[in-house]
Amino acid sequence: MSRRFWETDWFGPLMVIVVAVAVVSALNPSFLSPFNIQVLLLAIAVNAMIAFSQMIIIAIGQMNLSVGAIGGLSAIAFAGMMEVWGIPWPIAAILALALGVLAGVANGVLVALTGISAFVITLASLSVYKGVNLGITEAQPFYKIPDVVKGLGNDTFLHPLPWLIIPCVLAALLLWYLLNRLPLGRSILAVGGNEHAAELSGISVRRVVIVAHAISGLLAASAGIMLVGRLQLGQPTIGDDWLILSFAAPVIGGAILSGGHVSVAGTLLGVAIVAIFTQVLVLFNIDPFLVQVVLGVLILWAVGVNRFREVRALKHSAQVAS
Amino acid sequence: MSIQNSPSETAVFIAEGMTKTFPGVTALEDVRLSLSKGSIHALLGENGAGKSTLIKAITGVHRLDSGRMMLNGQLFEPSDTRDAISRGIGVVHQERNLIPRFSIGENIFLESLNAHPLRRIDYNQLFRDARVWLEMLGVDADPAMPVHRLSVAKTQLVEIAKALSLNSRILLLDEPTAALTPHETDTLFKILRQLRDDGVSLMFVSHKLEEVQEICDRVTVLRDGKNACESQPLEGLDRQAIVRLMIGRNEQIPDWSARDRSTGKALLQLKNVSTSLGHKEIDLSVHKGEIVGLYGLVGAGRSELAKSILGKFQVTGGEVLVNGSRAEIHSVADAVRQYRIGYVSEDRKSEGLVLMHSVLENVGMPIWRRLAGLVHFLTNSKIRKHTQPYIRKLEVRTPSLDQHVGNLSGGNQQKVSVAKWLAAEVQILIIDEPSVGIDIKTKAYLHELIRELSDNGTALLLITSDMPEMITLADHIVVMNDYRIMGEIDNTRDYDTMSERIMTLIQGEEFVAAE
Repeated sequence: MSRRFWETDWFGPLMVIVVAVAVVSALNPSFLSPFNIQVLLLAIAVNAMIAFSQMIIIAIGQMNLSVGAIGGLSAIAFAGMMEVWGIPWPIAAILALALGVLAGVANGVLVALTGISAFVITLASLSVYKGVNLGITEAQPFYKIPDVVKGLGNDTFLHPLPWLIIPCVLAALLLWYLLNRLPLGRSILAVGGNEHAAELSGISVRRVVIVAHAISGLLAASAGIMLVGRLQLGQPTIGDDWLILSFAAPVIGGAILSGGHVSVAGTLLGVAIVAIFTQVLVLFNIDPFLVQVVLGVLILWAVGVNRFREVRALKHSAQVAS
Repeated sequence: MSIQNSPSETAVFIAEGMTKTFPGVTALEDVRLSLSKGSIHALLGENGAGKSTLIKAITGVHRLDSGRMMLNGQLFEPSDTRDAISRGIGVVHQERNLIPRFSIGENIFLESLNAHPLRRIDYNQLFRDARVWLEMLGVDADPAMPVHRLSVAKTQLVEIAKALSLNSRILLLDEPTAALTPHETDTLFKILRQLRDDGVSLMFVSHKLEEVQEICDRVTVLRDGKNACESQPLEGLDRQAIVRLMIGRNEQIPDWSARDRSTGKALLQLKNVSTSLGHKEIDLSVHKGEIVGLYGLVGAGRSELAKSILGKFQVTGGEVLVNGSRAEIHSVADAVRQYRIGYVSEDRKSEGLVLMHSVLENVGMPIWRRLAGLVHFLTNSKIRKHTQPYIRKLEVRTPSLDQHVGNLSGGNQQKVSVAKWLAAEVQILIIDEPSVGIDIKTKAYLHELIRELSDNGTALLLITSDMPEMITLADHIVVMNDYRIMGEIDNTRDYDTMSERIMTLIQGEEFVAAE
């Protein structure tokens, strides 16, 4: 029943990582130093949340341009509630997560009820959420972050494993379980795979769309909150640069943009690839702005590989038919 | 095997006065129907007669404009498909309705899984359950295999398993056998009879009258969205009578004389062509002024062949000759501009027309480049001058040329897609299912038009699954099955003998293949 392992979504990205790690650590042994691994894992933990937030929307065949705006809004809400109202950090975190869910539900409801494409709806809500963010902060960061939060955002619980890796692993496991074992998750993929068929099978497409956007909002808010801890301040600009990465990692991990197919493991590896490449550029003193170029090339490579597989599958099925 | 009780005594489902209109088309008008317990009810009618709309109304996809449905003596107004399923209505839809990347097993049980969104799916159990249904239908496939890897026939059987697994008391089957071999059909029929004997009410839609006569006990015929007959016992109705009910008087097959146009110059020839999609040893020629019909079942590879000729898919062997000389067609643009071949798609909404653009823009599209000239400057008046004669000739009913095509009726949309190619002055026109979703009057008009086109020297390759249409129009009929040509016959225009011979050609091969 199972596909051969080299045909899975995660095999290609994993090979890239293995080769990259082997080459880089041979050239520069400090790449595998505990400190470097800690830095790498911190980047992966936050970026994975961002990527998952987009992945769940890709699964239903839509796009969410507002992941960054939701993350940014939740981040400053988190920091602001602690600084201005003195709310204890766990409660502030929960409220900020709720805000993210709310923002996601708003997206989902608008998409489901109006039938307007998610691209347009989230383009508009991106502007709204970002506007609210700037209205609250007046573009000034919140500086008074409790030391516990700063610690959780940077320290390790078991050298070199940072605290932040815990929510990331948890999210990955839960998402995998949702998308592979729970009817709700299967409905999400079914809607992305063939909306019409899903509807005729008695799946409520609207409900599924709203739930997916709610999950997306929750994950984006988590990423925002985690970044507050890591940066040790409530930056209003959090989320501004998430968009490309949020698409790149799922696509590198084998997701199909028209929906119906995503891979949690693949996305996680996609995030790792981006983090490693970024790290390598720093390690070898290469202009960090080159990261953007590398990211673009990675996306093209991943899409190219997917397309190649698709065409081959098409030929295969034609031969079966004949 | 005959029904002892009259239908009113055992009627499980009764519908009266069913009416449904779509913009520009009345799909159902005052339709009546009753399904009795433990019977197989045939729903017949030509393409566009309203069968699918009727099924969609019963399954909650469409809401009726007026009329009422009763299920087990209670008013039945399904709010959506989920509602209909929960009331015990199962359906095998005509369109492909599976999730391509999901496993066979999961597709079969998608409905029931969905009832508990947060309960863990036990895949081992699921696949075990699925295997039971697959074995029952004689499908040799691993339930864990994703359905997009299956052949058309197996996909169809999975859809049937999916509907059966709901244990519905009413089961609607919309052309379930379209892609099946005779052997698979027999297995299916055995199961359907079993279900009937268990008291399930089945409704069976098919274009194959032999099947209907073999398995059904009552019949409702729709014509033009209205009842031509309602829940009538099939006993005593012969094939001829059913056909008469379906097409109504003999207006359907006009009294045109048989023609032999094969003496004209061959404009399109395929010699031993094979394609990347799997066509093999395709020999075909269409002469000037000739209509060659390409008949076959769904999945026989006819549209795929047309698209290969057009350069959309690769021709991997043999040769294609246009106007007697070897043609190298690498893209649709080549086909249109260099070889003047046009293609009226069967799927005019997604492939044939840009619905949100105007009539003028649609018709002008293939000739923009030609008209634009050196400086690439196009004016509307120039396009109008070159397209209006054709739009007028086809009598496209539109308030103005600036009207969005999406707002026109199906028949007029089809005329626009034909006008487009007339304006492009093609010498070879491939028409794929010209009358899908078109009412009978427009259809007759379209037929005259196609005939006239051929009289004016255009070579036409006609693809249709509508047998009367094929026999009305074609001069020469080529029968395809399984991406190969099974044989060809000159059209004598005698419906009974022709349809018989065509079906023998298709099935003959299948018996061989089954061995």
